[in-house]
Amino acid sequence: MSNEEFPLLSDLKKGPWPSFVTEIEKTAEKKPEMRDLLKQLERSYEDKITYWKHGGIVSVKGYGGGVIGRYSFLAKECPGVAEFHTMRVNQPAGWFYTTEALRTICDIWEKYGSGLTNMHGSTGDIILLGTTTPNLQPCFNELAKNGWDLGGSGSALRTPSACAGPARCEFACIDTLDICYELTITYQDELHRPMWPYKFKFKIAGCPNDCVASKARSDFAIVGTWKDEIKINQEEVKKYAEAGVDIKGQVVDNCPTKCIEYDEEKKEIKIDNSNCVRCMHCINVLPKALKPGDERGATILMGGKAPILEGPVMSWVIVPFMKMEPPYEELKELSEAVWDFWDENGKFRERLAELIERVGMMAFLEAIGVEPDPRQIKEPRANPFYFWREEDLKPRTDPWEIWRKAEKEM
Amino acid sequence: MGEFDEETKQKVLEKLAQKPWSTRDLAKVLQMKKREVDKICKELIAEGKAAYWSSGSTAYVTTKEKAEEMEAKRRG
Repeated sequence: MSNEEFPLLSDLKKGPWPSFVTEIEKTAEKKPEMRDLLKQLERSYEDKITYWKHGGIVSVKGYGGGVIGRYSFLAKECPGVAEFHTMRVNQPAGWFYTTEALRTICDIWEKYGSGLTNMHGSTGDIILLGTTTPNLQPCFNELAKNGWDLGGSGSALRTPSACAGPARCEFACIDTLDICYELTITYQDELHRPMWPYKFKFKIAGCPNDCVASKARSDFAIVGTWKDEIKINQEEVKKYAEAGVDIKGQVVDNCPTKCIEYDEEKKEIKIDNSNCVRCMHCINVLPKALKPGDERGATILMGGKAPILEGPVMSWVIVPFMKMEPPYEELKELSEAVWDFWDENGKFRERLAELIERVGMMAFLEAIGVEPDPRQIKEPRANPFYFWREEDLKPRTDPWEIWRKAEKEM
Repeated sequence: MGEFDEETKQKVLEKLAQKPWSTRDLAKVLQMKKREVDKICKELIAEGKAAYWSSGSTAYVTTKEKAEEMEAKRRG
């Protein structure tokens, strides 16, 4: 591609970082029709308008979702991208892949699609960018033959997603991967056949750190937690203190409910667990000394959503504690009760949060058969972003300094 | 053998032939339960008589012929 031909796109190749323009150019070496993608993009930058339109019959047999139709308004000028549909592939729970699985999916996509992917979308599916209508069914057939399925799109259950959970993380209070898989398998009909007022998302986080942002990004958040006391290893607390960790400054003073006491002489921690809100801060700072309790389960929150343009809502706590044991009957009964009410009462394109706002929490709880509870608070933190003034910040110990020191002492 | 009689399915199919419907609106027009309409539509789709048609953000159900007609219109 000459820089004179596409001057605006060429600008996006400058700098030391990777560029999507360079990647599309590489793709165009194998698939000349991808030059039309560059052509259309250049034109979009020039005119400051998108030339994509979407919709139509773009699905595979029996499925109502999983393919997002994309057509070009410039089909005559850019015939190579006249049809440029996206295929959404259901990702494995926790996004675990073998390199072989990734090679297989890439080979299939090179055969039937553009060869371009931006990998994981915001719901987590594998996003394969750009194929034609006639290629959809054969591509799906080959994906299915290799154990892949399409994910959710439109007014359906979206592909459930989960953090890496117990597979990679010591804080996981629930088996996020198993719950995610179980929900995906149980609700295949809801996932592939869009019949609801709008989209519905499950996200499963292993602990309140909520690495999948379930509280902010899903209609039904399952967040691992514990009921009993935080487990304290006082020997490890001492080691942290001796390694230079400012336990009072970094842990005690930052506890949101001030439920931690620290005895500087004995170098011991005491926690009033009845006032702990499971924010995870102390556990994150002192992971060897503090661990989640043993009586584990999940808090169920509902009504979160993070749309691209307007109207983000943090979810509400609906069930403060639910045991999470296979086959997760209680969880499934609750989600089905929610769907029944939402499907019956939700307006067109009304997410669960908007329905709860409209009918009121009392009516919602009554409909889904959950007793009111003082812990069903709304917006524990209305804004997930905290902004600090410079004077609020204390100089922090360099964690690497502590780890290196601790390593030397071992 | 489906759950619903042919007469009911025919009634739904006739409506679907008019335009792409959200099953919610279709249930209101036909004065049926939405869940029943959902199930009938799924049966009709499985039989190849109906199809999903997407506006881009929302999936509707219509007859296979109507979906193809909509598609032809889009191609201009």
